[in-house]
Amino acid sequence: MKKPGADHLALLAMLAVLCVLPFAVTGYVLYVVNLLMVFVVLALGMHVVIGEAGQFALSHTAFYGIGIYTAGLLNTAFHPPFVLSVLAGGLLAAVLGWVIGFLALRMRDIYLALATFAFGEAMQWVFLNWEGVTGGSNGMRMQPAELFGWKLTNDLQAYPFVVAIAALMLWLTVLISRSQFGSALRAVRESDVAALAMGIDARAMKQWAFAISAAFAGIAGGTYTLFISFIHPESLGFQTTILVLTMVVVGGIGSVRGAVAGAITFGIISELLRQALSVQEIIYGAILMGFMMFKPRGLFADRRRRIARATPETQA
Amino acid sequence: MTFGDAWLFLQQGLLSGLVTGSVYALLALAIVAVFKTTDVPNFAQGEIFMIGAYIALSLLLLAKLPYALVIPLTLVVVAGGTALFQRFVMERVTGSRGVGVQLVIATLGLAYLLKGLVRQTGLGDTPRSLPALVSSEPVLIGDAALTRLDVAIFVVAVVTMVLIYLLFNHTRIGKAMRAVGMNPRAAQIVGIRLSRIRMLVWAMSGLISAVAALLITPKVLVTPDIAHIAILAYAAAIVGGFTSLPGAVLGGLIIGVVENLVGLFISTNAIVVAPFLAILVTLIVRPQGLLGGKPQVKKV
Repeated sequence: MKKPGADHLALLAMLAVLCVLPFAVTGYVLYVVNLLMVFVVLALGMHVVIGEAGQFALSHTAFYGIGIYTAGLLNTAFHPPFVLSVLAGGLLAAVLGWVIGFLALRMRDIYLALATFAFGEAMQWVFLNWEGVTGGSNGMRMQPAELFGWKLTNDLQAYPFVVAIAALMLWLTVLISRSQFGSALRAVRESDVAALAMGIDARAMKQWAFAISAAFAGIAGGTYTLFISFIHPESLGFQTTILVLTMVVVGGIGSVRGAVAGAITFGIISELLRQALSVQEIIYGAILMGFMMFKPRGLFADRRRRIARATPETQA
Repeated sequence: MTFGDAWLFLQQGLLSGLVTGSVYALLALAIVAVFKTTDVPNFAQGEIFMIGAYIALSLLLLAKLPYALVIPLTLVVVAGGTALFQRFVMERVTGSRGVGVQLVIATLGLAYLLKGLVRQTGLGDTPRSLPALVSSEPVLIGDAALTRLDVAIFVVAVVTMVLIYLLFNHTRIGKAMRAVGMNPRAAQIVGIRLSRIRMLVWAMSGLISAVAALLITPKVLVTPDIAHIAILAYAAAIVGGFTSLPGAVLGGLIIGVVENLVGLFISTNAIVVAPFLAILVTLIVRPQGLLGGKPQVKKV
């Protein structure tokens, strides 16, 4: 069933480009690439909860923010090796996600969307108003991340680590997707009841998917602190969740390669349109609606899996 | 704070809360009605409300039409728009593989499109209020002071709710809507045209949103961000049980009162987190909501 195809070639090509890039381009381009890598991690996280488990969570940015503030505050206060601060951000996000998921998944599915939406708004409020910790509306300066005394002070220095983290998260996503756990998530996505009948604890699966997705977002936030030294709550609103959602949807819900391709495409678009906020909103809105109407599976839908779903071998 | 102060605050909070709560209740009704009949949690509810406010604003201030024309025009445009959205967008999404996630994303798309369009026109740059039809002379009820406008808002909201109640219980269309909400397949079998009923429900939700927008806009400054009011409406719907129309009304009133009491007793700054806390408490204590009935087991 599996053959080295377009995916592997694309991956190799991407790797080659990423290796050559630091020698060929300016700091700004590297900054954009770093940012794209963060978006890739964010999109992969959303892919786990929406694509694999079919659950709708709208608090991605909140966990991303938690990752940024946790890592940033740790870096500023203790100067730990950045691996620790990034992990701490991911862990805190996962724990919070697990609790929210526990509460929101007690009733019908849609409560997760509503509760996470409200949670996202509430967290932005916390970032804006908890002045002692986050600096409130003044934003917060963060000390550069360190690795055993070596400070990452510019985009070039952060670049290899940012790319490595993104690659690691991509590998993890593929691993999750191919594991039995991944099959269980997709079983839940297709039918709660059928999954239950097969002995899959549907609610626990959803909750884990949500917590993992929160962890991805937290790690994306930690990664962000490797090359950015200032954070303002303004950028941690619902629009960022929508941006990531657009990436995943256009790429193809349920497809890892779609999430990556979507993240890169829309990361670039959002950087190009940074000045024109309302144009961005119109474009994203129209794209979301249009894709749902005419191409609900996105551009890179996984054709293989759609067929495989009907065959018994994919059932865990 | 003395006891007297607290008593005064309580009365004031209750009454002001009922006024704003009645507007949340209307929006929650719109959300719940659409959810019950089409299974779509409408994430564009706030933006539809916001568009209603902007349509009224531009008709009044730019086209200089009198209120007597502005009100019906706004209602018709918003209701028509939402009906068309259901007919041409949501039908299509449902048809081409519409399950929960896709439907939610489509409404999110509408929300962003509307918000972006309003920002693009530049109408949002100068926040304005609508001129009020009713004077804002104070009215004393108990020790609490409301304005006449407040009283008018509450009365109109309640009248709207009564009309909705009558619609659902005493008209054929309303009964058809309820039937679709209970069991779409059975409804179809007895000859109800699903797509038409769903369009009508969306139109009704648009109408309610426009009423809410017309009611509240003389009180608040109209900006694209007033769409955030939807969070309170979602909270109201969840508190009420999300599938219960009376629950939506009750939830709306509760959210309004809680919000005002939090504002008066704790701080106005904390109001923003009140809806989240309300949702959280509901999910912990009574996840099916106040009037949501017994937790249902989904039938295959």
